[in-house]
Amino acid sequence: MTTNISFLLNGDEISYDIKDHWTLLHLLREEMGLIGTKEGCGNGECGACTVIVDKLAVNSCLYLAVEADGKTIETIEGLASTEGSLHPLQQSFVDNGGIQCGFCTPGMIMSSKALLDENPGADREEIKHALAGNICRCTGYIQIFESVEAAKEPVVENRGGQNE
Amino acid sequence: MKAFKYLSPTTVEEAIAFHGRHSETAKYIGGGTDVIVKVKEGWMEPDYLISLKKIEEMSELHKNDATGELSIGAMVTHATLEKSLMIRNEYPIIYDAVSNIGSLQVRNVGTIGGNLINAVPSADGAIPLIALDGVALLHGPDGERSVEVKDLFIAPYKTVLKPREILKKITIPPQEPHTGSAYIKFGRRAAMELPLIGIGVLLTLDDDDTCAKARICLGVAAPTPMRAFDAENFLVGKKIDENILIEAGKIAADESKVRDSIRGKAWHRKEMIRVHVRRMGLKCLNMIKDNY
Amino acid sequence: MSKSNNELSSEFSVVGKRIPKLDAAQKAMGRAEYIQDIKLPGMLFGKILYSKYAHANIVKIDTSKAVAFPGVHAVLTGEDVPKKMKMGLIKDNPPIKKGKVCSFRDEVAAVAAISPEIAKKALGLIEIEYEELEGIFDPEKAMEKNSPLVHDHLKSNVLKMPWNIHYGDVEKAEKESAFVVEDRFTTTWVTHCCMGTSGAVALFDASENLTIYTNTQIPSLAHKDFLEALKAMGLENKRVRVIKPVIGGGFGSKLDTYAYEHIAILLAYKCHKPVKIVFDRVEEFKATSTRQPTVTYIKQGCDKNGKLTFRNMRMVLDNGGHTSWGATTPSVMLMPISSLYRVENVKYNAKCVYTNNTYSQAMRGYGNPQATFAIESSMDILAEKAGIDRIEFRRINKNRSGDETPQGLKITSCGLEECIDAVKEELKFDGKNEKGVGTGIASLIHVGGGARIYGSDGCGAILKMDDYGKVDIFTGGTDMGQGLDNITAQIVAEELGLLAEDINVVHSDTDICPWDVGAHASRSTFVAGNAALGAAKKVKKKIQDFASKLFDVPCEKIELKDKLVFVPEDKEKSMTIGKLLRKAHFRPGGTMLMAEHFYDPDNQNMGKELKGNMSMTYSFGAHGAKVKVDEETGKVEVLEYVAAHDVGRAINPLLLEGQVYGGVVMGLGYALTEEVTIKDGKIMNANFRDYKLFTAKDAVKIKAPVIETIDKDGPFGAKGIGEPGCVPTAPAIANAIYDAVGVRIKDLPITPEKVLAALKEKNG
Repeated sequence: MTTNISFLLNGDEISYDIKDHWTLLHLLREEMGLIGTKEGCGNGECGACTVIVDKLAVNSCLYLAVEADGKTIETIEGLASTEGSLHPLQQSFVDNGGIQCGFCTPGMIMSSKALLDENPGADREEIKHALAGNICRCTGYIQIFESVEAAKEPVVENRGGQNE
Repeated sequence: MKAFKYLSPTTVEEAIAFHGRHSETAKYIGGGTDVIVKVKEGWMEPDYLISLKKIEEMSELHKNDATGELSIGAMVTHATLEKSLMIRNEYPIIYDAVSNIGSLQVRNVGTIGGNLINAVPSADGAIPLIALDGVALLHGPDGERSVEVKDLFIAPYKTVLKPREILKKITIPPQEPHTGSAYIKFGRRAAMELPLIGIGVLLTLDDDDTCAKARICLGVAAPTPMRAFDAENFLVGKKIDENILIEAGKIAADESKVRDSIRGKAWHRKEMIRVHVRRMGLKCLNMIKDNY
Repeated sequence: MSKSNNELSSEFSVVGKRIPKLDAAQKAMGRAEYIQDIKLPGMLFGKILYSKYAHANIVKIDTSKAVAFPGVHAVLTGEDVPKKMKMGLIKDNPPIKKGKVCSFRDEVAAVAAISPEIAKKALGLIEIEYEELEGIFDPEKAMEKNSPLVHDHLKSNVLKMPWNIHYGDVEKAEKESAFVVEDRFTTTWVTHCCMGTSGAVALFDASENLTIYTNTQIPSLAHKDFLEALKAMGLENKRVRVIKPVIGGGFGSKLDTYAYEHIAILLAYKCHKPVKIVFDRVEEFKATSTRQPTVTYIKQGCDKNGKLTFRNMRMVLDNGGHTSWGATTPSVMLMPISSLYRVENVKYNAKCVYTNNTYSQAMRGYGNPQATFAIESSMDILAEKAGIDRIEFRRINKNRSGDETPQGLKITSCGLEECIDAVKEELKFDGKNEKGVGTGIASLIHVGGGARIYGSDGCGAILKMDDYGKVDIFTGGTDMGQGLDNITAQIVAEELGLLAEDINVVHSDTDICPWDVGAHASRSTFVAGNAALGAAKKVKKKIQDFASKLFDVPCEKIELKDKLVFVPEDKEKSMTIGKLLRKAHFRPGGTMLMAEHFYDPDNQNMGKELKGNMSMTYSFGAHGAKVKVDEETGKVEVLEYVAAHDVGRAINPLLLEGQVYGGVVMGLGYALTEEVTIKDGKIMNANFRDYKLFTAKDAVKIKAPVIETIDKDGPFGAKGIGEPGCVPTAPAIANAIYDAVGVRIKDLPITPEKVLAALKEKNG
């Protein structure tokens, strides 16, 4: 029950022989050594294992690796630039106190990234809705919201009517 | 997790054929948010999981503008429904229900068909589809058959589906004008809840404002999602105002079969039915008024 | 008036600055290694089998099928545990039980295998025959004469604990009181829910020395526990090394050593291989300890002017089947009971009672949230009875700097009144709310300068400087996300004129870090901070001494700032600290600069009289809540929340706010949504679906005004603030609900059901 799958992982083309019953989380953590993605509950109730599959945030603990075939997968390891500088969301979580124990952080950042990629201007309510599946026990969420808000692209103000 | 072979047919017929070959030890899998948990916990021990993800027609969400019929493929995800402006504007009760199922991560993968087939008493997805008189199209070795969504459930975790049958899609008949619908999931938290009780109300008014059609559907009020027929019948033919809705709430609460569980007490569930039938009813009336 | 948190402590370069958590970038990149992430060559995986019953005799265990299962390396039962290997406060808990089980979480067997899956399968092959016994699940019933005994060799389920005090004369004071109120309050089990579950990896070297990677808040006490474990195993004079990986949340859960650690040690020894045990989420719920549940009877009174006359409290604590730190929470409850507000006559009695439920442990606040829930609810009830405004009532009775309380607590700095004012300013309390909306206030006192519960309340720090102006500081303190790394670095950097990023804080390994009693009692900023400050001062002195010779000026004229060592009045005499370090090092008879400092605060052990100044200083706070109650559903919505704290000095306002926000939301869960539902000893909601933590969507608006009172003993004037955020939250909410709709909920959590039932009763 081994299947060969190909997928794009953080920009790299990957071909991997997997077992059909592996979850994507198992493939990433236990087989590929990408420990950044965390398991907090194993049942899709905490969001610590969130990764992005074809632009959608998913719980990798409930997502079969075999279904990653042909997909584009983003994990926390792929966010920083190849030169090592942090992704704006990572930097913002660092700067705004969005991280305490850090266990929920990779999932939280991946959910935030999926949100801002789709909706760069997300407001507080939209952020709360998108992050409702990522449990954090340390922060009370406030500094996480502030982190996401601070990472949004600055809104270009339209100075209506002011022709040159 | 137990080892299994994953199969991904591209047509319904192929899926059914796969299932036939592996009979007892095969299970269908949709988004997997319920099935994977069951396999992990050992409640389900399949040798084969037959995925329905690659069957394109099952992922189609389509409204036929000519007939007004809505067709929701069983593999349409909750997130797809949540993000559809058509659903949000024309079927607010579906939007209300699917936009708060689990987390966004679950809604991105979990499907409306899976939510129905899982057949938990708390399935949010079932309530709006029952309220909208949805019809489930089942496809088995002997061909297709239709079952009203309200008749889909037999008991907790049990539906009328035969072992090899697949829920292919749900169709919603055209909505009459002057219809409003709303759903509320009542729980302790604002998200990530299984409902303590789920209440869906749909009202259609005649031109003279009397109630032409009423649907009051309840989740967690009985072993399976239920319609409060007495309350619905009470409303039909009456001019709806708040007092009438209060009365309907009482009737619905009385005909519910709520129970005590670790999640909540029966008396409170009953109270919540009473209160929210009125509240959802009023929401429906406002919607109808706004759309005039 | 409180300043905005951005304007605090501006006189310093590093202290008082919002410096991001030092390990945040590592965590943001997913590179931090938690216990889950540790993999050692040849490592086996351990799994634990728990009891099927709450109370039963073990008649027979057959492990032969599990032993024979391919991939299994070892199977242990209670028979394999050395007799003297026991855990907990009074050593009543062997890591694997034999003969009898007294709760569902009792360990009955364990397996080590080449994969977690195989270990799990092997557990299923262990056959155990039980003889079920009648269980006892209600602590008040367990106190009755004919109740079943949880431990047969004891005559009673009531533990022999010293929690019985009387300061002043309560009976006399009661007679002389103008107003007296009496009530019963209960709190239930809640649990830490660390996002990173518990776990340990144990391994022995060729000389039978133990290394254990484990999530612990008490590396030094764990070190001692494991030494005792080795001794029990017949391994005398061996070494133990405790390594803490990055900890995925603590909150008090890691204040004891647990069965899984001892079992990992036993398995590793038996298999001669590293053995890893990591809990899954269900196990985390079922086999880690909860906050101590309480039944509280409170009576308090005041005179006609509103001055408190007496406070008389009695508690029954459900101890569960075994005894951990939960049974000692009365030592901390004593603090608010005797000393929250001025009250001269105080009586307190607490009984810890064995039941067949789960056993409790430390959890953020250590008993204080339970006691404060009763006290602050009762304060509102008493104020109303006396006809005095509830804020005025609190003002009348407020603690003041210079007070010594009946328990002997010496109040040094005290900003309680300023905290109350800050809450009032934010929430108004003018009674002009719309229907169903109300405000509530509750105050807190908590240890802010250590808490002597052990022979030493100390912490050590070793500081060394390299040749370039960088510092490594090895602290006994523990960072588990709360930010001790920053506190240490900022204190050291400030003292040595460096930047926080120049300081590398090592806090992970008992082989290289000095002793510390543990990350508890909100003590780390104060105690570990003072230890670091002491070491930094010593090194600073050495730098000044050397510079003094170099510049030929007296020591006291030399300053350290902006990475420079210089004489302010002579600009020529300036050098980078790095250059000075090299000059000190690379010369005949050279030296490198290092220092160590052990700080043990001058606080007191309470002793038999239960009197004494347990902490060097106390943190104060007041919380205010504005809630909206849906009178038809009973659902409570928190509209606004203000949590004002007297923190001495904010070393890092960014992290301080994080502690307060996180504490408040944990407290709101305690108040409104969280409970471990236990039915006949069995946990019914061991998952995040049914154990209702606040989600992002439930999060509320919180303001966290900071009051700085600059404590004379704190490092740069700082006091502890880790726990207070969740201490008065529940009574603030309960008081607001009463203000909103006139019902008083006395049992946590305040669910919609309870509120609606109370409303129905009130409205008839």
